[in-house]
Amino acid sequence: MTDYAIELTGVTKRFGDFTAVKDLTLRVARGEIFGLLGPNGSGKTTTINMVSGLSQPTTGKVSVLGHDMASDSRRMRRSLGSVPQETALYEELSAEANLRFHADLFDVPRNDVENRIKQLLDLVQLQERRRSRVSTFSGGMKRRLALARALLHDPELLYLDEPTLGVDVQSRRALWDYILDLKKQGKTALITTNYLEEANTLCDRIAILDHGQLVVEDTPADLKRKYGDTVIELELDPAPKAELLEELRRVAGVTEVTQADGLVKVTVEGEHAAAGDVVTLVTRSSRLVGINQHQPNLDDVFLSLTGRALRD
Amino acid sequence: MSLEHDFRVIRAAARNDIQVALTDRVFFFLGLIIPLNFLFVFILFALSGGLAPTAIVMNDHGPLAQQFVEAMRNSHSFRIHVADATHAQRDIEAGDIVAVVTIPASFDADLRAGRKVELPVLVNNLQTDFTNDIRRAVPLAITSFYASAFPDQVVVQAHEVDLQPQDTDYVPYLAVSIVVGAVLITGILQGSIVAAREYEANTIKELMLSPAPRWTLAAGKVIGTVILNAGAIAVVTGVVVLLVGARPVHPLELVGLALLTMAAAVSIGILAGTLLKRRQAAIPLAIGLTLPLFFVSGPFGPANWQGSVAGFLALLSPMFYAIEAFQHAFHGYQTAPPSLVTDVVVLTGFAVVSIFASALVLSRTRVAH
Repeated sequence: MTDYAIELTGVTKRFGDFTAVKDLTLRVARGEIFGLLGPNGSGKTTTINMVSGLSQPTTGKVSVLGHDMASDSRRMRRSLGSVPQETALYEELSAEANLRFHADLFDVPRNDVENRIKQLLDLVQLQERRRSRVSTFSGGMKRRLALARALLHDPELLYLDEPTLGVDVQSRRALWDYILDLKKQGKTALITTNYLEEANTLCDRIAILDHGQLVVEDTPADLKRKYGDTVIELELDPAPKAELLEELRRVAGVTEVTQADGLVKVTVEGEHAAAGDVVTLVTRSSRLVGINQHQPNLDDVFLSLTGRALRD
Repeated sequence: MSLEHDFRVIRAAARNDIQVALTDRVFFFLGLIIPLNFLFVFILFALSGGLAPTAIVMNDHGPLAQQFVEAMRNSHSFRIHVADATHAQRDIEAGDIVAVVTIPASFDADLRAGRKVELPVLVNNLQTDFTNDIRRAVPLAITSFYASAFPDQVVVQAHEVDLQPQDTDYVPYLAVSIVVGAVLITGILQGSIVAAREYEANTIKELMLSPAPRWTLAAGKVIGTVILNAGAIAVVTGVVVLLVGARPVHPLELVGLALLTMAAAVSIGILAGTLLKRRQAAIPLAIGLTLPLFFVSGPFGPANWQGSVAGFLALLSPMFYAIEAFQHAFHGYQTAPPSLVTDVVVLTGFAVVSIFASALVLSRTRVAH
């Protein structure tokens, strides 16, 4: 059995002259929550379509749970759960009827259906609304129901496409908790999102796509360390002389030093160890009155790697 | 993947469509209104086009004049009423009648004396179909009157041998074809709506991401839609039986054929809906497809009577086989060479091929995640 839940090897997808995904190679380990990040049109949805068997790559190979999706996609679907962006729920039907239909489609053992439905409606806190029409649900409730439906047949691997898009803050937090619970159950999840905070909270690893190509792939912490900048704001007494500022610029890892309004701002690459050297240097000639450190976030990483903000 | 799972999916897909449709009042009423409307429109068409409204001005009330009027009545070409000259003239000028036939005052006397009788026929010849009806029917009425009034003078007589055990009136014959047309138009329309709705509501993803075989999804939709429309078809058939007076000779055969024809129609509709993916496109296509099929399939008489080209085209239409089979169930006769078994096999074939074609389209469908 392969250690990888998803393996994409040299995958390219073309629509006529347009190349949506170009030579993409990715591996998602079993039990991992993996995030696909990128602006609209970056190739996230095309990638997830190929992984879920809804689309075939033009070239390259997609394997899911060790099976080739080109030849085995229908059999593999029993092991996959999906929360599409638009939820794909039958709005005219009740929550319970939606789940029952899904159970039939995915051949959930009949004697287990009632129990599973109850369990999952409890999990997503929709038990009291089980007989209500889905059209009466809020966006957050629909997403929770879609998640319950995706889990109903106990899949090994889940796809969640923009799982919290348009959801209020409270529901978003609740959905994050459910998704993090999946990891505890040993399930693998592939998430596409535009929310960097979401990726940071949920994902073990992240791949950033842009123009159909993989820009970078790593853990959120390593990405921030490698591609984000830490800004250290120092309040010194007396104010530092020009020589000290020059010395600071020569410290390894320091990329920028500025002075304004009595503050010295030192920019350090990633979460570089240079922060300690900076403090040691300035305290030789001045008294450190105050210090403030701004940690890098994924927005900074994205900006640094693609030259634009995620929502540009 | 097992046969048990296949049946489970078919049942679930049927139940799901029924549940969704029952929440949609427009869908429910479409299923009833369209076939009833279809029935009434064509029966009105048949009634209005069948008999030419004609006034008879009787200037002679002698027995021969009465016998002539009776011959006109028996020609099945006129809707006759007797009027005086003034009223008849007013009616034809008002456009209420097609013709005025005037029986001269000396009609009986001239005939008995062997003199030539001129029968004035005033025709509103604004439309040749009705005008020609009058031009054909008046001489026919004269001939049949002569054969009856002066049997010694008319020595050539037709000796009719009937192929069928009983005559079937035009409207009961046409009404059966209309029931078929109603079943087909409703089935194709509702099938296309059921399929296209999945794409419009994005619920197609739930189906596409499932491991269920595509043919089971299509088959389930066919069964669900047939069940939904069974009531409407029963109502339309009831109207034909109770109001038109066409009694089915083989009632159980009729039930089976109605379900089979509906299944074939729904399957074709589901294929259309799966291909078009939008109700807005599927609905006009369903109506636009059904009406030509109806007219080419011999609704007014056996398709071969319309000529060899029309007869050949009819063979390509499921409605042709359905009309044949329904005429057999209602009137007990076969209207053209293929047997009832052929009709059933062809209709089943249309259903099965459409279901698997829909499955093929579904398996090739690519939807955004």
